[in-house]
Amino acid sequence: MSSGLRLGLLLASLGVFLIIILSVIRRKLNIKYSIVWLLWALLSLAMSVFPESFYALSGLLGIQLPVNTVFLIMTALLYALTFYVYIMISKHNEEIIKLTYEVASLKKELDELKKKNEK
Amino acid sequence: MKTLIVIPAYNEQENIANLAKEITGYGYDYLIINDCSTDETAKILDENHFNHLDLPVNLGLAGVTRAGFMYAHDHDYDCVLCIDGDGQHPPVFMSSLIKEIQNGSDYVVGSRFLLKKKPLSLRMIGSRILCFLIKVKTGKTVTDPTSGMRALGKKVIASFNESMNFYAEPDAMCYLLHKGFNVKEIQVDMKEREGGVSYFANPLKSIYFMLCEILSIIFIQ
Repeated sequence: MSSGLRLGLLLASLGVFLIIILSVIRRKLNIKYSIVWLLWALLSLAMSVFPESFYALSGLLGIQLPVNTVFLIMTALLYALTFYVYIMISKHNEEIIKLTYEVASLKKELDELKKKNEK
Repeated sequence: MKTLIVIPAYNEQENIANLAKEITGYGYDYLIINDCSTDETAKILDENHFNHLDLPVNLGLAGVTRAGFMYAHDHDYDCVLCIDGDGQHPPVFMSSLIKEIQNGSDYVVGSRFLLKKKPLSLRMIGSRILCFLIKVKTGKTVTDPTSGMRALGKKVIASFNESMNFYAEPDAMCYLLHKGFNVKEIQVDMKEREGGVSYFANPLKSIYFMLCEILSIIFIQ
């Protein structure tokens, strides 16, 4: 990894770290979900501070350019994260159907009660 | 037997009043579910005092029928019959489907092609593919897997109420056959839509629907 890439990675991961913390403080992000992103930022921070570990890992995996190891890890993590988001969407979809039904049936009962009272 | 007719309706202002009046004539309990229509459907339902649910957000057909099953489950119905709100399922056939449930079937489908020949249109090629897949998976022969006119017994209502992964009619049918429920088809005739726009007017949506169904039948159900 070139020193330029290292510096860029270092600054970017510090920036990401700050943005995550600020988002939680400004109540834009749930603490529950911030953990994943904080770990993510810490990992890229580690990558830029200790690139030697990635050289070793690249050798182990038979990858010639260490930067490709970085890309590989990043891509795999992104896949995992996206899949997790899809699972959450499915869960929310299911919850929305249940809530929608509950709201509609409560509204129906309320309307019927109102009509009874008017009579 | 306590029977509920579930009628999903999305932007059906031309059809819904006539259909509802016709169905009331048969004396069954019914529930029209307005899937957050953008036209006058809600107003028509209110003014005529039809028994109906107004969903606050648009759920799509799968979600609407789920809401219908939840309602049936909550009010302890023994049998649910689904009829499309666009008027393509003639209410004349309702009693014959319900009678089959009374005779001990768990799931009865109104098939257009049990006694009649299937035409060779693009849509019916899709139907044939689904029939073939269901035959391969379960060994049972069905003739009209996409038919939306169906009656459910109590066991099936409970199971549909729980599961999120019945995307539409064909995979629901496949699941029930696979699980050994007593599924029966009877011959009905259907009309062309009387007004409004069909969900399947968009070819991309049809392709997406077919892919979901094929995937679901092969791997999930």
